[in-house]
Amino acid sequence: MSDLSWGLWGSWEETQACLGEVVGQWQGPDPVERGSIRRWLESKEFGAAAIHVDQQAAREAGYSDLVAPVSMVFSYGIKSYWSPGDPPQSLADEPTQIQIPVIFNVPAPCNKSFATMIEAEFFAPLYPGDSVNCTSRLVDIKRKTLKVGDGAFLRQQDTYVKQTGETVAVAHLDIFRFYAVAGEYADVR
Amino acid sequence: MSGDGALAQERVAVGQSIPEICIAITLQRLVMEAGANRDFSLIHHDRQIAVSTGASDAFANTFFLMGMFERSVREWLGPRAMIRKIGPLRMMNFNTVGDTLYFRGEVTGVQQGSQETLLDLLLWCDSERGRTTTCEVRVQCD
Repeated sequence: MSDLSWGLWGSWEETQACLGEVVGQWQGPDPVERGSIRRWLESKEFGAAAIHVDQQAAREAGYSDLVAPVSMVFSYGIKSYWSPGDPPQSLADEPTQIQIPVIFNVPAPCNKSFATMIEAEFFAPLYPGDSVNCTSRLVDIKRKTLKVGDGAFLRQQDTYVKQTGETVAVAHLDIFRFYAVAGEYADVR
Repeated sequence: MSGDGALAQERVAVGQSIPEICIAITLQRLVMEAGANRDFSLIHHDRQIAVSTGASDAFANTFFLMGMFERSVREWLGPRAMIRKIGPLRMMNFNTVGDTLYFRGEVTGVQQGSQETLLDLLLWCDSERGRTTTCEVRVQCD
């Protein structure tokens, strides 16, 4: 069993001070391109994907080029796990986690977390060559005690904008952060 | 019905079922998925870490589930359907290695406009452990 814990430690007062604030902002490192789309489709056995792989089929459906699946905006918006200039990772380091600002940038007296809800509205297609940046805000805090421990639901709003200035998607993610005592992780959901 | 959005939406009515799709969750698939969607959280590919959070094994992430719901809708409605919203997507149980996931759904609303039709869908994911995930989707058809 691992005792790995994660999240920025702090008081509930510090959590509250972040409400409404930008808690994360970065540029997705890679532009949209065929290879990443193909690999995303592959792991889902996503076969009816003409508009995602065939330029002509996409044009016949009203797009100017092949388009990425709408759900891929999240992947294109994830910051890199390592970039030139960053220090090398050592075996003693904790593994790099996906960047979720309400976990890693917002202080809270919590040592565990899990996602409970996500929703996203999509406003513009992503074409090859497009890249996105993501701005995250903490937009809601609801204190709650569940079986797994005392904590709070933190709602993160992510706005994805591409290089043209168009908003591609706006997503809301609910994360339950809590203080868990070792051995009390059963029945998390 | 699948593959032609215009044909599909003409026939759509509230209560209509969305064709089932299924997928087997293996550790290899989760690793492929992590590479494809860039979520390298350990709970999605490291059994020991996943077990420490109460799961029986490594489990599928949110991005995978959203993508599978997108696949359900795309396979059913075809290339002209425009997915406007996915969610709320609610996770109620783990989707772990060894599970076969069945994605199903039904139409919950049809709004016929002069230029377009908006469909509201409720989809869900079932496995041997019961219903694991629900997801609403809004789609715009010509």
